Amino acid sequence: MYLSLRHICKRFGTVPALIDVSLDVDEGEFVCFLGPSGCGKTTLLRIIAGLEKPDSAHLLLGGRDLARIPARSRNFGIVFQSYSLFPNLSVARNIAYGLACRGWTAAAQRGRVDEMLAVVNLADHAGYYPHQLSGGQQQRVALARALAPRPQVLLLDEPLSALDAKVREDLRAEIKSLQSALGVTTIMVTHDQHEAMEIADRIVVMNRGVIEQVGAPRQLYDEPANRFVADFIGRMNFWSNGADGSVLGVRPEHLHLAADADAGDRAWRGRIERIVFLGSITRVLVAGDDRRCTVELGGSRPDLQVGQSVYVHADAAAVHHLAGPGA
Amino acid sequence: MPPALSRGGIGARLDIDRLQQTIVVVAVLLPLLLFVVVPLWSLLRLSFETPGGYGLDNYARHFASAKFGRIVGNSFAVATTATLITVVLAYAFAYSLQRAAIRWRAGFAAVALLPLYAPSLVQALGILFLFGRNGIVNRTFGSGIDLYGFWGIVIADVLYSFPHAFLILTAALAHADARLYESARMLGAGSARVFRTVTLPGTRYGVISAAFVVFTIVITDFGNPVVIGGDYGVLATEIYNQVSGQGNMALGAVVGVVLLVPAALAVLVERWITRHSHAALGERSQPLSIEPEAWRDRIAFLFCSVVALAIAAVVAVVAIASVITLWPYNMHFSLRHYRFDVQNGLAPLWTSIVVSLMAAAIGVVVTLAAAAMARTLRPVSAQLLHFLSILPAAVPGMVLGLGYILTFNDPRNPLEVLYGTLLILAICNVYHYHAQGFLIAGTALRQVSTVFDEASTCLGAGFLRTLRSVLLPIIAPAIVSIGVFFFVRSMVTLSAVIFLVTPATQLAAVSVLLLDDAGNQNQAAAYSICIMAIVALALAALHATLALLRRWRQPHDHVPVPARVRADDSPGMAGVSP
Repeated sequence: MYLSLRHICKRFGTVPALIDVSLDVDEGEFVCFLGPSGCGKTTLLRIIAGLEKPDSAHLLLGGRDLARIPARSRNFGIVFQSYSLFPNLSVARNIAYGLACRGWTAAAQRGRVDEMLAVVNLADHAGYYPHQLSGGQQQRVALARALAPRPQVLLLDEPLSALDAKVREDLRAEIKSLQSALGVTTIMVTHDQHEAMEIADRIVVMNRGVIEQVGAPRQLYDEPANRFVADFIGRMNFWSNGADGSVLGVRPEHLHLAADADAGDRAWRGRIERIVFLGSITRVLVAGDDRRCTVELGGSRPDLQVGQSVYVHADAAAVHHLAGPGA
Repeated sequence: MPPALSRGGIGARLDIDRLQQTIVVVAVLLPLLLFVVVPLWSLLRLSFETPGGYGLDNYARHFASAKFGRIVGNSFAVATTATLITVVLAYAFAYSLQRAAIRWRAGFAAVALLPLYAPSLVQALGILFLFGRNGIVNRTFGSGIDLYGFWGIVIADVLYSFPHAFLILTAALAHADARLYESARMLGAGSARVFRTVTLPGTRYGVISAAFVVFTIVITDFGNPVVIGGDYGVLATEIYNQVSGQGNMALGAVVGVVLLVPAALAVLVERWITRHSHAALGERSQPLSIEPEAWRDRIAFLFCSVVALAIAAVVAVVAIASVITLWPYNMHFSLRHYRFDVQNGLAPLWTSIVVSLMAAAIGVVVTLAAAAMARTLRPVSAQLLHFLSILPAAVPGMVLGLGYILTFNDPRNPLEVLYGTLLILAICNVYHYHAQGFLIAGTALRQVSTVFDEASTCLGAGFLRTLRSVLLPIIAPAIVSIGVFFFVRSMVTLSAVIFLVTPATQLAAVSVLLLDDAGNQNQAAAYSICIMAIVALALAALHATLALLRRWRQPHDHVPVPARVRADDSPGMAGVSP
């Protein structure tokens, strides 16, 4: 265990932001905190950084207690959502800032700055000032600045959410490959499930100050622990299980349509309400007597018509029995 | 990679951080207590001190006297009349500049601010040159206009307080939501109805705020009444007479406390308004575009010309009188008043410059430190700091000055060594204008996102390094503005320092008063012009420095023209208003 968070609690006034949160992060791992706004993910990141004081917590880094180590001495790199580059300093001096704080010699600083500029592909921008850079370039400089002092942990607070979609995708891939190459333990906060699934080794799904589930992207998708996680990561159809009151869930791509009831004994009849063609898939909304569901089928389906009567069925193995929040 | 610091090292470092911050807090709070709270406390204590212990005797005695009742009545009559006239004139003036399509808007605005940069008794001096017993008007037309007293003070104070009301009302009128005006027009409202139902309600907070500010300025003004008041006594001149004339500190203190009430009330109202007026404009507001309208524009232009002319004339006549052999008897050109061969000659001017430079340096450090501290402190301490920093705005200069003699001319006080030095004059000016400097500093610091603090901290910087490498360079334009603000105020102020000057530490503005008092009006005029020339130099230096700082922001390397130019983030000239 590299970074260990134990029993973290934090309230803002009377509003609980984090309720007894515990989590372990391995060395070199890329972890994403994912959740809706107000779930406590940013607060948790700021507590790890030392920028926010928890009401109670036990934080260990490599077995050592972080409680009495202030933010400036933790050597954690951080990249913020909004542009946090110092506007009065050039790109090179922004990157050198943390090195100067740590007493690197001028020569060592220059070498490291050149190295970092090359890593983020901004070698010819050393003399630029932040206001002369695009949003994507500014965040790459912020990344270089955070990584320059060889931080023990890299913290990313929604670093991509202020950028345009295209730039965001490019930079996302860049962050991932950089992180793998450097092997730096990284925690990123995001509210974008696609971002989290693409970039993270493990995702921590948070909601209302608690961790709902921790796991690899695949694991969260295939085995969601509860309805919140199932709904937040990908799409899922829910209906109540009359027998025990629990909730049954099926992913849209695990449902099939058939013209007659022969398809299986669990099939149910419904009417097609809407058909949405999305290119690689076709999304079909089916309404039955007591339930409605979304079915995703591969490619184009010119054989289906709105109003058509169909049978919907699912493989028994793909049906999830869920409990938990929202159930 | 194990952390580089040992456990003990980290603990020690944390303590140093905390120690560093504690030292800064004490360094900020202690002077505020010493130079604001203690003088006020001394004044309050003295006002309640009687031979038989503490009590209301001084107040009872004073309030019972017919003379005191008359003076209080005079003060309120002058302040109410001047406030009414000033707010109406300033509203019309600001409205003409903001809502009519007229020429020379920048010129009119500049003239309106002129009184800020003149010693506070120049208005009265100019009016006397024009309409006084020996003024040009009475001399030329043989008329018997007698302005000494009520109307003289009112007119002088209208001119004196005009820029303050103008600035507040300009701010109130500058932003408007065009959609409201278009809706009113579409619903069939005429110009008068639009003004009554949309414009006036939209600027009501500005009007209230301007009224209270002007009232306070007038009721606490000392320079104009002392020159043009004649036998018409007001509270500010009464303090001066009690203290300097009769050495009656206790009665001076009582008048001072009475004067504190309206000033404190004005500050409370001001704060209440700021809290209630923020949501006037929504994010989707459309800016108002001003279309030319022949008659309205003609009237607006005429009105602005008349007001600007009046303001400029008073200053101009002082400038002219300064180069006249003997106004109004011998109207030949002469530079003899610039020889300064009476009293201490030019020495007070140099003294004023030195004191103003000291005040600028101390003021910048003190107000920026306070504003920076207020950001990082916990809510309770930050509120205390904020309160103490704003408190001087509620203290009239005469009252603060009196508090200073009571405190620093007291042999029991170890700080008595400061009395009679230039330093105490500089300190008095810094704390007299501390609230305004603090607010400019706070505005400048708010431009610095807290993310900069946090990014800097995470990169390993301590408080001082963050301040030096990031915060100070970003707010450099504000530093220059605050410095010039304190310099200019210190050059022209009279009220607080009037009690603190000694023959060895005579100030220029006080010299003007003494010259006028001795009947050397032409020399008083020449002295005023010297003060205004220095103030003009300081303002020119401010503009040059701000332009230079903007240029330095641009990199020296050969890089393409920036795609997005940073908005000018200096508080600029607005910073050099009281």
